[in-house]
Amino acid sequence: MNSLHPRLLACLLVAVAASAPLAQAQKTPASPDPAVVEEMDEYANVQISDPLEPMNRAIFKFNDGLYTYALRPISKGYVAVVPAVAREGIENFFNNLLFPVRVVNCSLQGKFHRAGLETGKFAVNTVAGLAGFIRISDDVPALASIPREDTGQTFGVWHIGQGPYLVLPLFGPGTARDTVGMVGDYFLSPLNWDVQQNVEWYNWKVETGVTVVNGVQRLPGTLKTYDAVRKDALDPYIAVRSSYVQYREAAVKQ
Amino acid sequence: MNLRLFKLAVFTVLFSSVGLAAAEPAAEVNGVVKGAVDEVLAVAYDSATATTPLALRVRPVLEKYFNFESITRKAVGPGWQQFTPEQQACTVTLFTEVVIRNYADRFEAGDRPGITYLAEVVPDPKRPNVRELPTSIDYAGKKYSVIYRMEKSAENWRIVDVKIEGVSMIANWRSQLNPLFQHGGAPEVIATLKQNLANSAAK
Repeated sequence: MNSLHPRLLACLLVAVAASAPLAQAQKTPASPDPAVVEEMDEYANVQISDPLEPMNRAIFKFNDGLYTYALRPISKGYVAVVPAVAREGIENFFNNLLFPVRVVNCSLQGKFHRAGLETGKFAVNTVAGLAGFIRISDDVPALASIPREDTGQTFGVWHIGQGPYLVLPLFGPGTARDTVGMVGDYFLSPLNWDVQQNVEWYNWKVETGVTVVNGVQRLPGTLKTYDAVRKDALDPYIAVRSSYVQYREAAVKQ
Repeated sequence: MNLRLFKLAVFTVLFSSVGLAAAEPAAEVNGVVKGAVDEVLAVAYDSATATTPLALRVRPVLEKYFNFESITRKAVGPGWQQFTPEQQACTVTLFTEVVIRNYADRFEAGDRPGITYLAEVVPDPKRPNVRELPTSIDYAGKKYSVIYRMEKSAENWRIVDVKIEGVSMIANWRSQLNPLFQHGGAPEVIATLKQNLANSAAK
């Protein structure tokens, strides 16, 4: 659900919207039974300020069409043309490349042991896994399931509030905190480093190709997650918003 | 000793009595979840009955292990008390149908998932009739955290919520149902559930 690109436009929106009061997502009836409330209140915590809801809903609708009519055919084509083994290898390669994002944010959160594990995972997959195409680390229990960290999560660990909910064209759901976090992730990702100065063959054509492949390779997984949340929902907008907020809050706590 | 181990040690000391008391329920809770998962997978991967819609095939198993009355009550939220008994019964029936159909629709009969059952958790010592069983599901090369929340009603432990990667099924439904209730009360909740089922059937 998360993108790895900057949302600079959103930052401006954040500045405007951040001062808006927190909209309570759920209201309690006038005189509820305290026993019932106690039993249920653990589920009443999915709260997010959504002062831009009308605009967010419009963009959500636009994105839904974009996913259905433009990105889904591309995703299907990618799945049809590229064998599953190759797709897995490409996904592993790009995930391995994002090592700096994870290790820096582990360190910024004071999770130095996890940063060490990330480093070990990167070393194992890069050296023994053919530059990350094969995820050898899955065979090492300690390295098999390290929770991923990003800058948005780091802000959460630093007790920075999530701010208002934002839906951006193409990129989908997010919060003010995560949107600003994306900027950090952008600069930490080697995909966005100025490699052209040091590597002669890495010209703009190669760079564009890498960016496109990275975007396309993520589509099947992203659309699958989106469908899982959206399909059959009573209100798809709220279902996606609730899932996104819960998912990110759980990631911060992890 | 790192902070995590330290916290675990403190937790163990503080709640050792709870842990002892929970020794028997632990086996029960594990048994219920394992039973549910095994039976659902057996039904889902049974090629002999594959022509029947999955929602119909898994319904008896889910009704055996899930407490849909409790799930519906929690999904609606405190407003549930303002429903008449007839509206409550109707909502439970409709919502059960929506949930079963919803989750059956998402199932893809690919590789059989590998499931690791972790240690049971007592989320709130004040509520000993509530347990959580974390699991790790290995599916299509990826690992997912799935937590089953259990409640003991009468003599049986039943599943009342499933959290996938931190996303609670009930919290998600609550966030959709609550605005409906706030807007149009029980009639709007019931009408929307009916409409949702009708839309699904028309697809």
